[in-house]
Formats: sequence, C-alpha cells, structure tokens
Amino acid sequence: MELLHNLYIGFGVALSPINLWYAFIGCLLGTLIGVLPGIGPLATIAMLLPVTFTLNPTSALIMLAGIYYGAQYGGSTTAILVNIPGETSSAITVLDGYQMARQGRAGPALGIAALGSFIAGSAATLVIAMAAPPLAEIALKFGPAEYFSLMVLGLVGAVVLAHGSVLKAIAMIILGLLLGLVGTDVNSGVARFSFGVAELTDGLGFVGIAMGMFGYGEIILNLEKGESTEVFTAKVGKLLPSWDEFAYSTPAIIRGTVLGSILGILPGGGALLASFASYAVEKKLTKDRQKFGEGNIRGVAGPESANNAGAQTSFIPMLTLGIPSNAIMAMMIGAMMIQGIAPGPQVMTEKPQLFWGMIVSMWVGNAMLVILNLPLIGIWIKLLTVPYRILFPSILLFCTIGVYSVQNSAFDSIQTALFGLFGYFCVKTEAEPAPMLLGYILGPLMEENLRRAMLLSRGDPTVFFIRPISSVMLVFAILLLIIIILPNVRKTRDQAFVEED
Amino acid sequence: MQIKNGKDFWSGLMFMGFGIAFFVLSRDYTMGSALRMGPGYFPTVLGGILAILGLMVFARSFKSEIEHTWRIFPFNWKLFTAAVIVGIPAFILQKWMYANLGQWPVYLVNGVGIVLFFASFGKRSLYQILVITILFGYLLKPAGLVISTILLIFGAAMAGHEFKFKEVAIMAVVLAAVSSAAFVYGLGLPFPVWPELGR
Repeated sequence: MELLHNLYIGFGVALSPINLWYAFIGCLLGTLIGVLPGIGPLATIAMLLPVTFTLNPTSALIMLAGIYYGAQYGGSTTAILVNIPGETSSAITVLDGYQMARQGRAGPALGIAALGSFIAGSAATLVIAMAAPPLAEIALKFGPAEYFSLMVLGLVGAVVLAHGSVLKAIAMIILGLLLGLVGTDVNSGVARFSFGVAELTDGLGFVGIAMGMFGYGEIILNLEKGESTEVFTAKVGKLLPSWDEFAYSTPAIIRGTVLGSILGILPGGGALLASFASYAVEKKLTKDRQKFGEGNIRGVAGPESANNAGAQTSFIPMLTLGIPSNAIMAMMIGAMMIQGIAPGPQVMTEKPQLFWGMIVSMWVGNAMLVILNLPLIGIWIKLLTVPYRILFPSILLFCTIGVYSVQNSAFDSIQTALFGLFGYFCVKTEAEPAPMLLGYILGPLMEENLRRAMLLSRGDPTVFFIRPISSVMLVFAILLLIIIILPNVRKTRDQAFVEED
Repeated sequence: MQIKNGKDFWSGLMFMGFGIAFFVLSRDYTMGSALRMGPGYFPTVLGGILAILGLMVFARSFKSEIEHTWRIFPFNWKLFTAAVIVGIPAFILQKWMYANLGQWPVYLVNGVGIVLFFASFGKRSLYQILVITILFGYLLKPAGLVISTILLIFGAAMAGHEFKFKEVAIMAVVLAAVSSAAFVYGLGLPFPVWPELGR
C-alpha cells in the first residue's frame, strides 16, 4: 500500500489551490503557444521557462509539465486543422487527422485525440507511480561506471531517433558534450574555454542555447520561407466522436497506450518514436473501413494516445536516474538545476512532496487539458488565423525578455543570437539540433562519472565491461549502433522519416 | 573535385572547425592520466573525435549520391572576411580600447563585427532579427522596457515580408503595455520600465 500512500501525498500537493492554479496556467500557456504553427514544445518550454523562475520548485515543475502537455495538445490541434505539425511527435497525426478535417470530421478527430491522450495519460501516470520507486532503488546502487554507460546508451538512442545522417547526429552529440564543458571545471577549478569572458566562466547559458536554436532559428527559417498561404477554413462540427467511432478507436487507444508507455521509458525514446510505432501497428492491424491516410480515425487515436503515454513515461528515467532521455527532458533537467535541485534517484526520498506532487499533477494536467481543450477549441482556431507577421515579433519579444531575465545579463543576448545563427546553419545543413541539446546537458555529468569510474578502477578502462549492468548497457549501445549502420535498417529508417516529411 | 552534397560540405567544415578548436584550446589545460584525468583530458579526446567525424562528413560531400548545391544559404565571403578583420583585432585590443577610449568605441567595433558576421550567412531577415535582439538586450537597462520593446517590434516587423506601419505601431504599444504589466508588475522581474534619466 506504499503506492496509495505515495499517491495520497501527491494528491495533497497537486490539488492544493496554488498548484492547481499553476498547472492550469501551464496547460493554458502551453496550448496557446503550442497551437501556433512552427513553434514546437522545445521552443515553447524555453520561452516560458523564465516565467517559472519566481515560483517554488514544486510549483515551477508542475507548471513546466503542464506547459509540455499543453504544447503537445496544441501541436495536435494544428496538425489536424491546418496540416502543419506543431511539433515532430504529431507529424504522424497530420496524415489522417487533416484528411478527416477535410471531410468535415475535424470535431471527432480533435475529440478522439483529446480523449485518447487523456486515457493514455492516466494509464502512463500509474505506470510512472509504480515503476519509479523500484527503478530509483536500483539507481541508488549505480556507480559511476553504470552511470557513464547509461549515458552512452541514452546518447546512442538519440542518434537512432535523429533524422538523416547517423554520422552528423553523432557529431552533433559530441559537439553538445563539448559545449557542456565550457565553464569552470568542478574538479580543478580551471575555467575552460571562457576566453577571459567573465560570463562564460559559469558556462554557456542553457536557456540561451535552447531559445537561440529552437526559438530564433525557427523564426528566421519561417521568414525565409515566406508567409504560408494555407489558412484553415473547414468547419469543426460537433466535437465528441460518436459511440461507434469511439468503440472503433478504443483498441487503437489501448494499443497506443501500451506501446507509448514502453517506448517512452527507453533511453532516447519518447513521444516521437511512440507515435510512429503506433501508426505503423494500426496500419498493419486495421484492414476494414477507410484506408490509412484517407481519414481513418484509428490513425489519429493510436498515435495521439501513444505520443502522450510516451511523453509521460519519458519522465521516468529523468526522475529516477537524473538522466534525460530526450531533448525535452534535458530542458526539464535544466529547469530543475536552475531551481537548485540536483536530479537523480535521491529526489524521490529527499523531496517526496515534489516527486509525488509532480507525478499526480501529470494526471491533473491531463484532465485539465480535456476540459480546457474541448470547449476552448474555438479560441484556438481563431489563433490559427492570426497572420505570422503579427505572431513572430511577439514571439521574438517573449524570447528576448526570457533570455535576459535568466541572469539579467545583456551578454546572454549575444550568446543567444549566435546560437540562433547556429540553429539556422544546422537546419540548413541537415545537422539535427535536438541531440546537441541532450549532449550539452550530459557533457559535465559524463565527464564527472568517467573521471570517478577511472579513479575507482585505478585507471583500468575495462571496468566498464567488467561490471555487469554497465557492460549490458554498453553492449546494447554497440548493438544499436551496428543495427542503424546496417544498410537494410537504414533504408526503413529513412522511409519512416520520409513519411513524416 | 566537385562538391556534390553542399549540406555535408558545410556541416563537415563546421564540425572540423569546432573539433580542432576544442582540441587546440584544450592543450592549455592539464591532461593528467587515465587514472587522474585533468581538465584537458575529456575535451581533448572529444575534440579529436569531432574533428575526425567532421573530416568524414566533409570527405563524403565530394562523392555523395545525394546532391545538394553548396549554395544552401547565401554565404558571402567578402562580408565574412570583413567580419574576421574587424573582429579579431577588436577582441585582442578590447582591454586597451576600454582603458584608453572608453566603452562606446568597444561596443561600436564589436557591434560592427557581429553584424558583418551575421550578414555573411543569410538574407536581411536573418541578421536584422538577430541584431535587433542583441540591441534589445543592451538597451533594456538604460532605456527601459517600453522603449526597447517598441524598438524590437519595429525592427523585427521590418525584417518580415509585409510591413504595415499602423498595424506594427499598434502592436508595439500593446505589447509594451502587456510585457510591462506581465513581467515587471506581474512576475516582479527587475527591469526598469522607463529610462532612468538623471540618476
């Protein structure tokens, strides 16, 4: 009954009026910005991160989690209504969702996306509550060698999920690791790569990197492309799907939830992988009714449930091990560190209020989104008709204020602008920026654990293969790398990403 | 030799540049041994790997099956060279200029260098957006949130495709009011709203 007791603590925290309020604000802001086309959850969280600085850590994390779910819901709405995925994990929703909207069934598509996500989110919350404590227990036994190998595995996972060239994805991760090392070295106190600039001795600002690469970079690219002409015109109609549609979607929702929950936990996994896998499964299993890609409701229900379940369970490695499994979790870790919390297995035992409050608030946030999204859909549609020439200066303003507010430093604005240029360069050269952010967060952690592991083993590098857990993880990492380099797998992986574009 | 895949060409160059830079800069820090790694160990190894990966990507760009022109963005060598010519002495002489000429020439030279650098990579929309955000950062303290916001909105809107003065003016005023209310009065961020005159 440990679980019930923990959930009781969690509900006590999450249902306190002040935290309910922050969860609500987070969901609302997240949806508001997530709905806007061309702004993914990464940029949304980066933009809204400064808003949480003044809060206490628990409320701040609850609000950030709300922002994340909100941004995801918002992304699905854009995908269904205007055929533009607001974020990568709803890219697959575009296929059938937009077709449904064109056939005048936008309402049921939005409705099933919201209901499916809610069901998946509730199930995934339970999974987290049950899986986190035993995992944290195991994690407490991890030594530096295990941590190092786990990070290697996580980074290799990120390579598998990156678009395009494997070589470039690996290079981006290593660049990220290096950028993470800028600043004062904890062991020796040497300020590395700071060029005598005082601001750089604290390291490159995390918010600046995220905001520059994902916020500014996106704006510049959109301006270069020119204003998109596609404006939403279709009628939404009634929102709730019919019983028949709901019954037909239920198996897809259940399969999506299971798939998403499993794939979300894997290092490098998360919402994106989950939604792709679910779509593939539904496409294989469903033979009746409309074809996939022509407005089959299961093509919306499955991936939307899966991406929400995956988004939630990807919190598990972050909460229990302190290791982010994808770029969004890297942002969450960045936010925790700004709040002065060292992420890791000790958070659960030392700060049970924060830990369980956050988990329960995930469920609360999901419920809120259903309540928020369905009646407010009219407002979100209005937002979609706002032309980009009005949106982008406002987005830019909030980004710049956010960057400045982190340390009240004008220098950060130069750094962010440089990363904006770099983000533009990366997209242009098809070098994916998301793995770099992951590397940036893991850089110092990896170095620290490598040093400690080598010190403990008296300089013997075989330690990583002698310790059983560590060697299993490294073997997995190597296998994964070999698999993606194999020509056969590479072809299907390329196809999967082509389908998305 | 002909560049087949421009995207690999540029990213390969970039990776090599960063890899070599980190490798060379790490030489200033103690290497230590595998047993006791100094601050130079990890970055040296990573920098080396990155440089090799970059070389592989770069080499691949000459015999790639995927073809992309090398003009994937409007890169301008002249502006880039000018940025280097302005930037490097500015960086080296920074302390001297600060002591002898005051802060404004330092800002001016650095500003010119940065603008040239941004301008060498892209169209007007790119450098205008980036430069205006830097200006915003440096103006926020002395000029206050309202004036910097109005400037940012105008600067950004002019970088776009359509510029309607009336619309932008309304937007600038509204956003200045909203951001002052939300960030300064609502969230309590320590920004001045108006210029600090005579203080």
